[in-house]
Amino acid sequence: MPRIPFSVIIKAQRENNLLPILLKECRTIDSARNELRWLRERAVRDSQSLPSKAGWRSRLRSMCRMRSRGYPLQYILGDQPFGDLEILCRRGVLIPRPETESYTYQAANLVRQMALGHNDKSKSPNQARPLRVIDLCTGTGCIPLLLHALLCPHFQELEITGVDISPTALDLARENLEHNLQLGQLAPRAGTDIHFYRADVLGHNSDNSVPSIESMLQTQHPNLGALDISSPDQESECDLLISNPPYISQTDFRNGTTARSVRRFEPKLALVPPYLGSGMEDCMPEDIFYHRILTLALKLKAKLTVLECGDSHQANRVVALHKRLASAESGQSRAEVWPSREQDLADNGFHETDGSRGVIIRTLR
Amino acid sequence: MLSRLRWRTLSPTLAAPARLFSQTPIIPEKALPPRLKINDADISISYLKGTGPGGQKINKTNSAVQIIHKPSGVVIKCQATRSQAQNAKIARSLLADRVEALQKGDSSRVAIKAAAAKKKKASKMKKTRRKYRELAEGEKEGEVGEEEEDEVEIIWDDEVKGGENKEAESKIGGEAKTSEESGKGV
Repeated sequence: MPRIPFSVIIKAQRENNLLPILLKECRTIDSARNELRWLRERAVRDSQSLPSKAGWRSRLRSMCRMRSRGYPLQYILGDQPFGDLEILCRRGVLIPRPETESYTYQAANLVRQMALGHNDKSKSPNQARPLRVIDLCTGTGCIPLLLHALLCPHFQELEITGVDISPTALDLARENLEHNLQLGQLAPRAGTDIHFYRADVLGHNSDNSVPSIESMLQTQHPNLGALDISSPDQESECDLLISNPPYISQTDFRNGTTARSVRRFEPKLALVPPYLGSGMEDCMPEDIFYHRILTLALKLKAKLTVLECGDSHQANRVVALHKRLASAESGQSRAEVWPSREQDLADNGFHETDGSRGVIIRTLR
Repeated sequence: MLSRLRWRTLSPTLAAPARLFSQTPIIPEKALPPRLKINDADISISYLKGTGPGGQKINKTNSAVQIIHKPSGVVIKCQATRSQAQNAKIARSLLADRVEALQKGDSSRVAIKAAAAKKKKASKMKKTRRKYRELAEGEKEGEVGEEEEDEVEIIWDDEVKGGENKEAESKIGGEAKTSEESGKGV
């Protein structure tokens, strides 16, 4: 980490004596200024609403001290905007990232395009069942909630399922659903359209304390039914399978590419896939979730699959993995890395070479 | 006593029209010209998330939005809130204002608003100055000012109405009798 110039620290000190403390974590005076403003707003608001002896100044000071130790701003403030939603954040659950927001918007756009195209071709049958969306490793529930907000005006019936292994995350996801309903950011029907279930996507634990994703889906959606029998003429029962699974490798977690604040305060469960040992020889240890999810997508015959990956290398590996897995299947599909065009990258604020990428898989009919 | 009763019964009818505390009449404000509509094709929005790896590895709090208006070259950067969507909205309205100011000059929405605010401030300052000038004059005159005050009280006493009657009594004390008498006379 580059040293902060002494002149910058002096400048910050002159402006506000809390700025140098924040500078330790924020590294630039601009972002320190912003964070100080947001923290101050919250401190003032809290001291007005919650009666306590401490004034907002001392509250702000302790907030800044926490922040300087690397404690995430979102955990201090307790929420993070995600699209037009306000997602509550708490220790033990991954904080939603702006990149995930971009993938969610893109997924919603594609689902709408797909539905429009479908309706043009054959007007009658598609309205028979609701639009079905499954989000794996949902965390705060940000993806299902934003998808509902985006798709609600265009679809009569929606059925969105969020899946996670962590009970803490599921509690928070349900709380977020309630919170955004109260804020009026979600339509009232979201309460019945969105469900969160506990299941293990990897399905590797032996003691059956957590159901595997297949058994969970079979109990919750009996009409998804024949998951294991892949009959070619069976109609697809899932429109969108989306996931932001843990994708950081053990080395990347330790070698400094993962920020200190993330490493220390965000749950490792949501960041680094567990090491399974043997049985997954055909992919790298950090890609095991993709292997499982792609297999599941083929079983469900998901019309659209959107996966968040760590970087373009990982995204390319996932595309290759999909080709290997899909070659055995009869259906045709197209996998691509998104964003890959210069325009898409710039529009969504992605770095040209570094940073997160998504994989979008469309099943062709 | 009787007079007080009568005043009280009368008071609802007297208080019926909304009473203004201000002497200046309320003039409806002139409608501002409509906001300029910025064509989406003319702008390019970029989300400045900074460089380097994003995603799970880093937790960025930067949500700055930058809008460039291509025809005029105006650049607006906004990081007022933590929400990108919100920042984009704010940046858009700021951009519309800036572009309009460039196009229309003094007849733009912003310029009209600024002019109105300036006028308001000027008139307020004028009033303040007048007040302090009068106060200063009053101090110079000294005893004469006190007499004036008495006069004011009497004038006000004649106009005492409705619910304020009681208050007036407690304030003015001895002089309240005169008001009672005038009440009987009515």
